[in-house]
Amino acid sequence: MKWPAIASLTYKETIRNRILINILLFAVALIALSLIIGDWSLGEQAKVIKDFGLSAMSLFGLLIALFIGIRLMVQELEQRTIYLVASKPVRRWEILFGKFAGLSLTLLLNVILMLLALWAVDWIIEKRIDFELAAAVVLIYVEILLIVAFALFFSSLMSPTLAAVATLAVFIAGHLSPILRDYVQLHPGSGLKKLYLAIYYIIPNLENLNLKMAVVEHLERPPHAVGMGILYGLLYLSFVLTATCMIFEKKDLK
Amino acid sequence: MTCFAIQTNRLRKVYQGELGQKDYVGLEGLDLEIPAGEVFAFLGPNGAGKTTTIKVLMRLLRPSSGSVMINGVSNTQHQSMERVGYLSEQPNIYGYLTAREFLDFIGKLFGLAPSVRRKRIDGLIGLVGLKDRDRTLIRGFSRGMTQRLGMAQALMNEPDILILDEPLSNLDPVGRKDMRDIILSLKAQKKTLFFSSHILHDAEIVADRVGILDHGRLVQTGTMQELMGSGLKTIEIIYSIPEAGESVLGLSRERIVRQGDRTLTWTENMESAQEILGKLLKNGGKVFSVTPQRQSLEDLFISRIRG
Repeated sequence: MKWPAIASLTYKETIRNRILINILLFAVALIALSLIIGDWSLGEQAKVIKDFGLSAMSLFGLLIALFIGIRLMVQELEQRTIYLVASKPVRRWEILFGKFAGLSLTLLLNVILMLLALWAVDWIIEKRIDFELAAAVVLIYVEILLIVAFALFFSSLMSPTLAAVATLAVFIAGHLSPILRDYVQLHPGSGLKKLYLAIYYIIPNLENLNLKMAVVEHLERPPHAVGMGILYGLLYLSFVLTATCMIFEKKDLK
Repeated sequence: MTCFAIQTNRLRKVYQGELGQKDYVGLEGLDLEIPAGEVFAFLGPNGAGKTTTIKVLMRLLRPSSGSVMINGVSNTQHQSMERVGYLSEQPNIYGYLTAREFLDFIGKLFGLAPSVRRKRIDGLIGLVGLKDRDRTLIRGFSRGMTQRLGMAQALMNEPDILILDEPLSNLDPVGRKDMRDIILSLKAQKKTLFFSSHILHDAEIVADRVGILDHGRLVQTGTMQELMGSGLKTIEIIYSIPEAGESVLGLSRERIVRQGDRTLTWTENMESAQEILGKLLKNGGKVFSVTPQRQSLEDLFISRIRG
């Protein structure tokens, strides 16, 4: 197994990335800033802070996935450093998976740091730690990984700019896709029912990975929401990564 | 059946043209058989297909048709690369690593144990002359240092076969000599070496056999002796003789070049050279030099490429 060596190298590379450090610092600063914003709300300070903090984590996760995820393989190809790895007794999928695993580790560290920042802010307000936040954060992390997988997929097919647009489109559509399902349920006679359902099933339903509202508002969650979310995200992720590996397997490294 | 270190069978590579552009044939029906322990120089002008061939051998490009066998194993299998070292043309190396970290990473890709990696890194860093810079970031390396580190990574697995793309380019004279010495020591160790080069003189010194590629086709292959034959093109004689004696030599005007009191002439074979020398001495002439001019690899290369 050679992918752990590639993952370790990618972790080293991404952890030293200036863009990542900037985004992380900005995210932590923004979570801290939520103290002020929360102060403006009337009696809902803790809720606003948690909502704001979790949304910031989700947004910055998306930014990291877009900026670093897309560059992950493109940079190797453009700078021709890929020759050093692909000419060794290593399978192509191991290169791709190693890259993905390395970035995942960096992202995990980021998410943990952001969660700690959010807990610290929460401690200042509530004088307690809301461990429920971790449930939402776990799914945010799965969502970020899924977006990275899409970024890798699109960047193996098109230019970095187009890949960024396509990945962003998946993110937005993924959060809106339940509307299509609800529309079909409300209008079962719609002529485009099959098309709507096909789109709904192709695009990941990122709302399955969204527990922010439920956690912040202390709403009743569907049973096993976290477990099912992780399972759904990881299944989708493995499908996208497999497709990317198949493309990369046949790719000429010019 | 003979098992070659490197063998290609009717290798073809077609690059698909971008929108509205024609496809481009990079390689056409390339058959190569490189026995173990041979040093093979792959020559050709820019765009002839040398780098394409090497990238296909190294699994970086997929051939459109044909096959590659490395030590009898198809290169579609990643294990075929276990005993191969590769240096790309103008290698780019991760700038955020030190030379040691980079070689350690390469060692891991070959599945080497930590103790083996450490030992080999120490040896290779010394071999390529990077002892003073082994703990600084590669980002600050010159092109020549990067090339030397590239050579070190190609040797990390102690390969039987080395495939080197323009290993002697981008080096200063000292670096080139060092690199050539490394290649010669690998030759002495009976490693199989397959390298492309623009520098024909280096190929002439190092290679046992040469292949000339043009427009994706192998136009000539053979040992240096086969290609050059006896290699004798002309024999140049520089002499001086009193004016009266000049006509005795019987040389045509086209073969006489005068410079001051000295004259240059030439002939194609040894017998007529001896005849001229005899007449010269008999008629009071002085001989300053007799120089056989041999066909160089460059002459052969140019004659093949220009048809």
